[in-house]
Amino acid sequence: MTDLNGWHEQLRRGGLDLAILLTLAPGRRYGLEIIRHLETFTDLVVTEGTVYPILSRLTRDGLLEAEWVADEGPHPRKYYRLTPAGRSRLETMTAHWTTFTAKIRRLIDAAEHRR
Amino acid sequence: MKLSQTGQTRVQGYLYVLGRSLRGALPREAVADALQEIGSHLAERIAETDPVPDERQALERVLAEVGPPLQVARAYSAELILDEAVVTGRFVPVLRGLSHIATTTAAGFFGVLALLAGYATGTGLLIVALLKPVFPDNVGLITVNGIPHALGMQFPLPPGAEVQGGYGIIPVALLAGLAVLVLTHRCARRLLAWTRRRVVRAWGSSGVGRPPE
Repeated sequence: MTDLNGWHEQLRRGGLDLAILLTLAPGRRYGLEIIRHLETFTDLVVTEGTVYPILSRLTRDGLLEAEWVADEGPHPRKYYRLTPAGRSRLETMTAHWTTFTAKIRRLIDAAEHRR
Repeated sequence: MKLSQTGQTRVQGYLYVLGRSLRGALPREAVADALQEIGSHLAERIAETDPVPDERQALERVLAEVGPPLQVARAYSAELILDEAVVTGRFVPVLRGLSHIATTTAAGFFGVLALLAGYATGTGLLIVALLKPVFPDNVGLITVNGIPHALGMQFPLPPGAEVQGGYGIIPVALLAGLAVLVLTHRCARRLLAWTRRRVVRAWGSSGVGRPPE
């Protein structure tokens, strides 16, 4: 069971970067908005606070840019948006993900067909 | 819900523990930024939550969903400090990562202790190579009555001591020093990578990425 947990964690972590970039593809969003969007479409976020370190890393890596906005809500919000490098990374990751999942799907179909 | 004084104190306590856990691991501005962002998140989540069945339980539910402060701090550590050190291998991020694991884990403390010995030995050898031309009679392989006593420098030499090897010690110390430093630095990156894997695994098993039942 521990191995399955580890495998799932790796899968989740690999998918979370892509999921965050996809969430920001239409435009800027702040942290809680990103988390809510992810919760609507996936079960990738279990602990809300651990999304912020990932946003910080993606910002540090130049894939996102962040700015504090004070006048759009009752509290200041930190908005994130994709940089040109982030958009380019998103296109590459999406293409890889699509190819990868298609190949695994073919393997699953082949295994089920032989059963 | 609008928090009472007790509720506000609880939130301040959460942010205080988070700040303490992040300090020493992240630069001061990054800690302030992280605290402001998590504080803003909490304020918005609390404002939209009804005090059901009472304020205390509703607040604890919100804090649990955000995650225990130590878990959030560990996530910052894995994502930023250790990640940068492992990926880039640059000296300053590696030192920052080592300093972080030495103060947060027992294995990290002893590992870093051994690595410091390696860095000190390598640096010492380079200093020997650099100082040999300046103090040729005091720096090098020192023997006392023909028995090797030390590799380094002594001012003044003890009675019966001689410096062996002449200037030949310079290339030897230079090469050995560089080799020890490179080897130690590689070991440091491995230790950081190992620690990062453990943190990520612990982070996963603590409920962040539990597989669906």
